[in-house]
Parts: sequence; C-alpha cells; structure tokens
Amino acid sequence: MGEFAADRHVKYILSVEKRKDDFESVVMEHLRLNGAYWGLTTLDLLGKLDAVDADEVISWIMQCQHESGGFGGNIGHDPHILYTLSAVQVLALFDKLNVLDVNKVASYISSLQNEDGSFSGDMWGEVDTRYLISCFSPVKNKLLKNLSYDRFSYIAICCISILQRLDSINVERAVNYIVSCKNVDGGFGCTPGGESHAGQIFCCVGALAITGSLHHVDKDLLGWWLCERQVKSGGLNGRPEKLPDVCYSWWVLSSLTMIDRVDWIDGQKLVKFILECQDTENGGISDRPDDAVDIYHTYFGVAGLSLLEFPGVKAIDPAYALPVDVVNRIFFGR
Amino acid sequence: MADRVHLEEESCGLLLELEHILDSDPLIDEVGFIHPTQLAALIGVVDCDSSGDLDTLKFFNRDHKLGISTQILFPLYKQAKIIFFDEIERYKKQTGISGIWGDETSLQRCKSTLDELEIGVMKHSKVLLLLSADLATAWNSRRAIVLKKDTLSMYMDELRLSELILSYSAKSDQAWSHRRWVIKRIVGKLPNLQEVIGKESKLVERIAERSKMNYRAWNHRCWLVSYMTGEQVVYELKNSRVWAGLHVADSSCFHYRRRLMMRMLEDFCAKNASVSVGSSSEIYDIWKEELEWNKLLIKRYIGREALWLYRRFLSLHWLRDFMTQLDSVIFLDDELHLLHSCSIIPDSDFDDFQAQAMYSTTYILWLARQLSRSHAIVLRQKLQVGDMKDLLNSVCPQRSFFCDMLEE
Ligand SMILES: [Zn+2]
Repeated sequence: MGEFAADRHVKYILSVEKRKDDFESVVMEHLRLNGAYWGLTTLDLLGKLDAVDADEVISWIMQCQHESGGFGGNIGHDPHILYTLSAVQVLALFDKLNVLDVNKVASYISSLQNEDGSFSGDMWGEVDTRYLISCFSPVKNKLLKNLSYDRFSYIAICCISILQRLDSINVERAVNYIVSCKNVDGGFGCTPGGESHAGQIFCCVGALAITGSLHHVDKDLLGWWLCERQVKSGGLNGRPEKLPDVCYSWWVLSSLTMIDRVDWIDGQKLVKFILECQDTENGGISDRPDDAVDIYHTYFGVAGLSLLEFPGVKAIDPAYALPVDVVNRIFFGR
Repeated sequence: MADRVHLEEESCGLLLELEHILDSDPLIDEVGFIHPTQLAALIGVVDCDSSGDLDTLKFFNRDHKLGISTQILFPLYKQAKIIFFDEIERYKKQTGISGIWGDETSLQRCKSTLDELEIGVMKHSKVLLLLSADLATAWNSRRAIVLKKDTLSMYMDELRLSELILSYSAKSDQAWSHRRWVIKRIVGKLPNLQEVIGKESKLVERIAERSKMNYRAWNHRCWLVSYMTGEQVVYELKNSRVWAGLHVADSSCFHYRRRLMMRMLEDFCAKNASVSVGSSSEIYDIWKEELEWNKLLIKRYIGREALWLYRRFLSLHWLRDFMTQLDSVIFLDDELHLLHSCSIIPDSDFDDFQAQAMYSTTYILWLARQLSRSHAIVLRQKLQVGDMKDLLNSVCPQRSFFCDMLEE
C-alpha cells in the first residue's frame, strides 16, 4: 500500500482543466460544471482551493446561467437541475453565494416539482431518473465507466437547502415521494419499484437527512444491505455481484454515516483499497487498481478518505457533499 | 491563418460527407469508431486499391453498418458542434422565445428559413449524438422540433436513432430517457401499444446480452411493466426465465422478475381486496414455481449473491402473503434444510462454497429479522441463536453483529 499522494492529486486536478485538445475531453464539455465541482471540492478537502483563480471560475459559472434561473453544464448548454446544484455548490465553496439571485434559482427549482412531490430534471420533464454519465472511449469503442449517480429529488432539496429556501418547495410531498421508492431490502430505487442502488440510496438518504426525515429509514435493514457492498478486497460495490469501485466509497459510506452505521464495514480495508487506486506518479485516483484515473473518481476517493477520517483531509458533510466548514459557514455564519 | 481556414473547410467537408451517408442510408443499424488500419482492412475487402494513405480513409458504410475513422472524430465533432450551437441559437431567436419554443405568430414569419433551420438542427444534432450520446442539449433540440411536428413517423425515427446509439453506447442515460419520452408521447396514438411494449422489452434483452449488468437497460424494462397487460406480465415472466437462468450473476434481471411478481401480486390484491392469496390461484402456483426454480439455480451455481438476494424477496412475500401459520412451519423447515446443506464447505472450490455458506447464513438471519412476529417466533425457535452466531463467525466474522439484531 502506498502513501496518500495529496500533492500529486492537486497537480493532477489543476492539469485536467487545461486539457482541451482531444476528443475525449471535448465530449465531456457539456458537464464541465460537474467537473468543476468534483475538482474544486477535492482541492478544498486537501486545503488547496486557493490554487485556482476564484474570480475566473465564478465569472464563467455565471455565464452558464439562463433566464429561467437554472444553469447549463457549460456556456450555451441547456439548463438542468444537476448543473444548477453544481453551480450553487461551487459558489458555496468560494463563499460567493451572494452573487446569486437566490429567488430566481429557487423559483427555477420549485418550478420543476411535480404534483406527486417528485422533481423533473429540466423542462423535458423525465421524473427522477438518476443522472448517469458514461465515459465513452472512442478508441476501444466501448463504455469504460459510469461517472455519476444522482437523483433529482436529492439535487433539488440539497440545492434549495443551501440557498436556505426549503419553504419554496413542498417538502412533505417530496419526502413522501422518496419514501415511496423504498424497497423491501431497505434500499431505494430511482422510481417506485426501481432496483436498489447505492447511488440512489445516497440521494434518498441525503434528501431525508436534509429535511430531518430519517425516521422513515429502517436503519438496521438499510445498513445490512449497504455493508454487504463491501467485497473481499475491501472495496465497495454499488449493487450485488458488481466489482468494487472507488466511487462507491462515497455513495455507500456517506449513507452509512448518515444512518450511523459506518462501523459496519471494515474502514481499514477500504482505506487500503482507495490508496491502491492512486496513480502515485502523476496523481489522480481510478475506479479500481491499475485503471486510468479521472477527476470523478479522484473526488470520490478523497471524499471517501475524508469520511474515514484520514489524516490530512478535511471533514466532508455526508448529506451536502461539501466540506463541513463550508456547510457551517452557510448555516451558522462560520 | 490560412492553415486554419483550410482545416475548417476540411472538417466541414467531413460533416457534409457523414450527413450525406446518414441521409442516403436511413437503415444504418450499427456504428463503430474504427482505427484507420482496421478501416483499411474493412475497405480492402471491397476496394482492392487500399494501400494508399491511411489518412484519406474516413468512413465505411456497407450493409447498413457505419464505421468512422478514429482519426477524424475530433475535427468532425468540433465542426458539428460549432454549426449546431450556431443554428440552435438562431432557431431559438426565430421562434421568439428561448425556453418555451413554438410561438405561433413568430412561426408564421420566416417560415422557409425556419424549416431550413429545423432540418439543419435535426441533421447536426444527429451527428453530434452519434459522437457524444449524452449531450442533453442536442436531444432537447430534437424533442422541441419533434413535438412541434407531432407526427408518428418522426417519433418512430427518434426510436430508431436512440436504438442506433444504444447499439454501441448501451449505458447512455439520455438515449434511454429519450425512448421513454417518445413512448409517453405516442401511447395514445398507437393502435398496437402492447406490440410496441413487447418489442421494447425484447430490445432491452438484446442490449442486456451485450452490456452486462446494465442498470439503465433493466430500469427501462422495469418502467415498461406499468404499460403491460396482466397477460403480458405472465408472458414476460415465463419468457425471460431462460435468459435469467443463463445470467445468474445479473442481479438486475432478477430485479426485473421482482417487479413482474409484485405487479401480479398488486393486481391480485386489487381484484380480491379481502381475500388472502389462496393455494388455488394462478399466482400461488407461479410464486411456488419461482421459489423452486430459484432453489435449483442456487444448488447449480454455487455462491451467487444475486440468487440468494432474490430468494430473500421470494421467501419473505411467500411467508407474508401466501402462507398460513401451519404451512409456514413446513416451509421454514425446508429453508433450514437448505441452509444446512449449503453451509458444508468441502476442501475443493473453497471460495465459492465459502460464499455459499455466507449467503445461506445471512439469508436465514435476514428472514428471521424481517418476518412478522408470529413467523419470526417460529423461525427463531428453530434457529439456535448460539449456533447461528458460531456459523456466522466462521463464514463472515466481520458481520457477526447481524446476530445481535435477533436477540433484541
Ligand atoms: Zn465509479
């Protein structure tokens, strides 16, 4: 097991931003705001947020905003609730939420809530599919990995809570909808009857935690399902029979933290697994040992280490997915 | 500077060439990004004079298969993107309002340019999506135009495009989501909805064959269940059994069965509000058969987590919704018997049998925790908590706390 290569990871993150001249990076342009959130949160967790020019980032983010109040993943791209959360989270990191017209963003989000309490992701209105990004390798002509799992109810609730406008949505209905996605195995799917998945579970538990509704969760039963995600190597998978993947260090671990069952997995073995996924030479963390690194898994690896209280990494809030000091600044004014 | 202009002209030519191919062969059903040397080999079959410069090879199109040289992806994408975003900007201006498109009065204005713009947006978004399947803005632009025209043939074209993209990008959430959007739009327009749903279900099976444990594909199939008739649900259950038996590690395909089984149970309960499920009903037989089939697979494929998790579900509902107290005693005896036969670990094949022992132990403990009080008492009397602790300690000591939950 190698050491934790924090400085290399910082260098790697700063270098990703500059890569713009190949196919693989341009096809990811539409989710640049997500990438910014992953990269910048990692920098903050490592205490290196000052390595980037905040003004430059903020002025770019504000150019991604639309009339409706929502943000696109990059300049010129259609708005979506997912990128709106990323924008708000990044502004929160820089303590710059004050540049936002909060009412406008809040009304964009509340306009996406449906009768049954669920949220659509944008005006095209598919209710509550999780948002997954697939990293496509044109050379090998096959899919390499899924990049992100998110859920619109969580995104909406997290975003609106950071803006301190929870009263602008119907929280009760939103909670009821989430509870209707619960399965007999204690987990949650993306819609009622959907298969339990660690990414979905994080979103549901996170939303319930933010709204103070965790009493709807059978903690022992859910904890049971979640701790069964740990495989022999120490890594966690997101569903039964899948290979372990660093990103689930976050999805599973944050959920276990919120329901107070984190000691149900072997933290030592998980730390070891994450450290084995580092590129100790050039920085960055991959999904599994010896795979290619990317910014997404770098973020979730570091966030996982943070939940495991690894030395040298700032504490992260398991529900808001932001450093604890940032969350405290938002709600308690430091 | 002159170089740049030249480059741009060239990639614009690439875009036109590709769009021409797509126009002239609307039945393309496969796309691949191919290295120029492979492309040369492919073309070599039809074209003897292929020893020339590899850089001149760009596309391959035969038998409705389209190959694109990996060499040209970057310039092609860049050009398509510039033109698409430029056009979509103009289109939004033309239609007056960005955000809510299709304002009548402004539509009347420049009808011809508008038509041209729409054709352009459809063409360029198609190329972009072939190269970058999750570009939501491109899908959105297609939805806006298709919605405005609102013709069945255009909706069907969208299903075809998304199928083409899924043929090589099977995890594209946007492509799956686009299908659901289209199906919701055409539900009322179709005389043969059941046929479309049935075909859609088959499509998922084909894609799941190539793309293992694909959550989005199976999620799509689960979504279809609410559009199925009762007969279709039974048909799907029976028809997808062979596939499931051959893919016992694919937990999602068992979740699909869970969804179908639950739909049957819900339908039954809705029809027979006050009656509990009797042993003479069709669903009783199906559930029993499913349990037996699952046991068969468990014994054939040692140590498969997905099979054991499926059994948790089947047994829990079986006890809860189908069994009298007396029946349940017999059933639980059988399950304990299964546990004992599965917790013997021979020296050979150590790993799989170790896993089998662990899954069978946690299966019983899970049931004991989840059962209603009266059933749980029966089971807990049969299980010696001390014995279970020993067993759990030997097969997965890190989860010995599962036993503590039973003692409460
Ligand atoms: Zn991952």
